[in-house]
Amino acid sequence: MATLRSKSDQEIRELLDEYEIKHGPIVDTTRPLYEKKLKEAMAKDKKVTKPSSDKTFYREEQEEVTYVTYRTPVISEVPSGDGKPYMRSRPEYSERDFVDDKLYSRSRPEYSSGRQYVDEPHVYNTPSYSSYSKPMPVVKAGGVVVKEEITESSGKLVPLWIQLLVFLIVAGFLYFIFINMESVESNPFNRIQ
Amino acid sequence: MSSTSQKHKEFVAEPMGEKPVNALAGIGEVLGKRLEEKGFDKAYVVLGQFLVLKKDEELFRDWLKDTCGANVKQQGDCYGCLREWCDSFL
Repeated sequence: MATLRSKSDQEIRELLDEYEIKHGPIVDTTRPLYEKKLKEAMAKDKKVTKPSSDKTFYREEQEEVTYVTYRTPVISEVPSGDGKPYMRSRPEYSERDFVDDKLYSRSRPEYSSGRQYVDEPHVYNTPSYSSYSKPMPVVKAGGVVVKEEITESSGKLVPLWIQLLVFLIVAGFLYFIFINMESVESNPFNRIQ
Repeated sequence: MSSTSQKHKEFVAEPMGEKPVNALAGIGEVLGKRLEEKGFDKAYVVLGQFLVLKKDEELFRDWLKDTCGANVKQQGDCYGCLREWCDSFL
């Protein structure tokens, strides 16, 4: 951009209106102030355009995650032995073309149509097979599915803090008994004397 | 600004006439001298600038900061003083 100093008052006024900067008449004493404001507004403009490109990057990442969550219920159907041939053919596609990115975009509309209500019952089914039987899909599936597995499995086992609490209660109880035992032992000793 | 200084009260009580620039609230000796060097030797010249900036607070504050290096409080005091004077006498 040409130096603001060389511009006429009218041009400065037009630029101020363009950046929607409130201003009064351009006078000797006000001009340097407006030139400074325009300079700041121009510098800000350049910064604003950059972050928007980052946003698109994030959106793509989100899309990738949704692909993955749709995959795992498909895999769980194979051991369940569903009588639907239509569904059985699907996992073959997804496993073969695991690396192929193109199929993700193609298969995504297919998944989204019938999958949504089917997804929920399979979330309950997976822990019944136990998380040990499927280490592979869990690792490949990424963070979203792994979290689900962890929360499901912890529901089956007793939480750690409860175990500790029970241990302390039992230990305290035994200690209490031990103390009482001691006093009982000391009594016969006194009797003899 | 809930509390106003004595200077502020004295300034807004009457027409400014030929009062010097450091009669304005927020403008002390140092700032007053800087303004005088730039040609703003009387309070009414600063008033003129205030009016040319359409009595806009942000513009006037920015201008005051650039011209004499006033801090946020000083800017606020000067702006408030002039605005109130204008409300009464303009």
